[in-house]
Amino acid sequence: MSFLELQDVSIAFGPASNRAEVLSNINLSVEENEFVAIIGFSGAGKSTLMSLLSGLEKPTSGRILFKGKPITGPGPDLGLMFQNYSLLPWLSVNENVKLAIKKVFPKLSSQAVNEKISRYVEMVKLGPAGDKKPHELSGGMRQRASLARTLSLDPEVLLLDEPLSALDALTRSELQDQILNIWEQNKRTVIMITNDVDEAVLMADRIIPLTMGPQASLAKEFKVNMERPRDRHTLNDHPEFMRLKSEITQFMMGLNEESKSLQNSTRTTMPSIEPKDFNPPRVTPNMRSQNLTLGTPTSSGQGAA
Amino acid sequence: MKNPLSYIKYPLLKAIDISGLTFLGPVVRLCYGEEPSVQMKKIGQWIFIPIIFIILFLFVWGIASEKIQTKSGALPNPTKTLQAYDSINTFAKREKLKKEAYEAHGEQREKLLTKAQERLAEIIPQAQAATELVTQEKANQKVKLASQIAPIKEEYKTSKRAFTESQKQRQTQLDHTSKKLHIGNEEQYQSFIQSVKEHQSQTETEKSTLRSIKIKIKEIENSSSKKVEKALQLQTIMAEEQQFLKKQIDQLTRDNKSLKVESEQLKIEENFTALTQVTGKEALKKAQSIVKTETRLEKTKASNYAKPSTLWFQVRRSILCVFTGFLLGSLIAIPIGILCGLSSTFMAAMTPFVAIFKPVSPIVWLPITLIIASGLIPDPDQNPLMKFLWGLPGELGEFKINPAFIASAATVALCSLWATLANTALGVASIDKDHLNVARVLKLGFWSRLFKIIIPSALPLIFAGLRISLGVGWMVLIAAELLSSSEGIGKFVWDQFNNGASDSFAKMIVVVFVVGVIGLILDRIMIIFQRMVSFEGSAATI
Repeated sequence: MSFLELQDVSIAFGPASNRAEVLSNINLSVEENEFVAIIGFSGAGKSTLMSLLSGLEKPTSGRILFKGKPITGPGPDLGLMFQNYSLLPWLSVNENVKLAIKKVFPKLSSQAVNEKISRYVEMVKLGPAGDKKPHELSGGMRQRASLARTLSLDPEVLLLDEPLSALDALTRSELQDQILNIWEQNKRTVIMITNDVDEAVLMADRIIPLTMGPQASLAKEFKVNMERPRDRHTLNDHPEFMRLKSEITQFMMGLNEESKSLQNSTRTTMPSIEPKDFNPPRVTPNMRSQNLTLGTPTSSGQGAA
Repeated sequence: MKNPLSYIKYPLLKAIDISGLTFLGPVVRLCYGEEPSVQMKKIGQWIFIPIIFIILFLFVWGIASEKIQTKSGALPNPTKTLQAYDSINTFAKREKLKKEAYEAHGEQREKLLTKAQERLAEIIPQAQAATELVTQEKANQKVKLASQIAPIKEEYKTSKRAFTESQKQRQTQLDHTSKKLHIGNEEQYQSFIQSVKEHQSQTETEKSTLRSIKIKIKEIENSSSKKVEKALQLQTIMAEEQQFLKKQIDQLTRDNKSLKVESEQLKIEENFTALTQVTGKEALKKAQSIVKTETRLEKTKASNYAKPSTLWFQVRRSILCVFTGFLLGSLIAIPIGILCGLSSTFMAAMTPFVAIFKPVSPIVWLPITLIIASGLIPDPDQNPLMKFLWGLPGELGEFKINPAFIASAATVALCSLWATLANTALGVASIDKDHLNVARVLKLGFWSRLFKIIIPSALPLIFAGLRISLGVGWMVLIAAELLSSSEGIGKFVWDQFNNGASDSFAKMIVVVFVVGVIGLILDRIMIIFQRMVSFEGSAATI
């Protein structure tokens, strides 16, 4: 039996008449202390998948098992690190971490709590900024604070929802190293969502692509058979790294093309009608063109997450 | 080496920013020599331009006050208003001195007494001189005016004579014509009517001419000269001080607390000695008298100087009242607002009440709250709560909180709670979903979710609401006090309105500024609180 298991999970939103199935037939099993990366395009339903894993959303059908038992709701053992930091803006970094620690370890003395806070804040190298409010920090620092808060829950599963996608390239690689470092020192199960192939290959044991939404599902997985610790400086010379990277990239591009052609098939030609008193226009300008395209790739396939 | 002053530059600028006194920012920056030309421009814009407009306003006010004449005199000009402010202050100061005089005893009393008597001796001749000056100036004025009036009077006389003459003439003319009328000749009769009409209108014009001349004379007679006014003012000041000194001396002698206590004690002792010499009916009578004096003595010991309320006392009582009402309103509004924000069902339940009660005017609430308050406390002298409040130390006891105060505070609460309620509901309802998800991941219970996530997140909007509420409450309170006769600024205005003294109009104008300045200060305080609880990205960062 796996540590974390998704069995035929589907989720749909909206009323019955206009139901949008975001994810369908997701099957995934994650072993203990495994680092799994789920890679997909924007709008594929990655964050929805993360909400399911963390228990924030319930699946429409199927089961999610954590240590053999179905997940009933969110909790500190499923440590979710939010995509947009979600630090409480009225609390300093230390206080944000303290809120989490106080909840998970309510019986700790205040001295022990303070020790724990400083340990986690040091762990993400935020020590000097501990007393600052989130708005005084840079994006990378905020994400590190968020990581510290999530780690301080001491979760059995670490769920990272696109943790680094909002950061610049330099901060990003620095944080990747930090996360890997922390994981290697204190192994635990990690599921990370990302849209960056390099990042996935560098960090994960297993990479699973998510197909294009709607009705996204998991495609065939890629095993990363590279020894740890991985060194980003020599990685570009590593044949396995290059092979995996190009394979995954090609697979992902294929997904995108497939979805594009899928979208193109719904092109419908509309008759040319233009009312006489067409002033002011009540619809968007492109309605006036002779060919009206329903569901262009940009409007539905690649919409925002 | 760095100047030590440079360390306080940014804290100072931050404090200025938080308190909302942004116009001081350029001044501070200029003092530190930061971009002088830019700062001078800002100072010009935010300090000099407003000052110029204030001066302009005072100028327009001065002109307008000369033009606007009312039954209670001309609209007070800035100088008169300032004088009224002075007189309010003098009154307050003198009442304080009288109170001191009442409570003074022993050596201090004698010291104060000699001082007051000396001053009185000094002022009596001065007051007499002032009175003499007034009579003199009035006489001078009369002479001056007489010379002005004489030619007009002459004109009046001649005109009147001329008019009577011409009227007589026209009358005889008409008499003459009437005798010559031929019966049946309509044309002739018509022209006769015409002449009568002319005669009447002519008479009317002449009368109105006479009337206007008379008005002119009256105007000159009533016109006051600056000199007379000045003399009168001096006389009033002297008379007021004289009266005050006499009263002060009374408080130091006849009405003095320690003297009264002494004399009563003496009386008791005397009576007691007398009592020990007699028996029977006489003894009973003496003993009764002693008991009576003893009760009186206790009363005297506990008594306070009956100080009439000064404006500043009323201002303090009003501020206490507005905060009582504001607190009461907030205690109702914040919990209900939070519940409304948390549950749309509760919001739906509350909406009709909010919609109906929100637009109700304080004038409607006040009589209702007054009836309820005086119904609950029918006899304030016997009510334990009132007794407790009156027994409070210091000014809190002196405020004599009564049902009218409670009714005014309740009216303030009823009118001001809506802004807080709406803002709290909005603040709680619009909480960031991510923050709620944090609470879910942390598995926070209802109360810690409420106090650690929901309320802190809604606080900026709650305080924005509280700020509006306090502003509304302050406006409402003055009206409520005016109607309920609860001691306060409103009562002061009402008293002035009914008083009709020469400077009561000016005192009302002073109140306009007092109310405005206090409202401004209250608003600033709330802004500071609001900024202190605001965070980046919160809905109510100003």
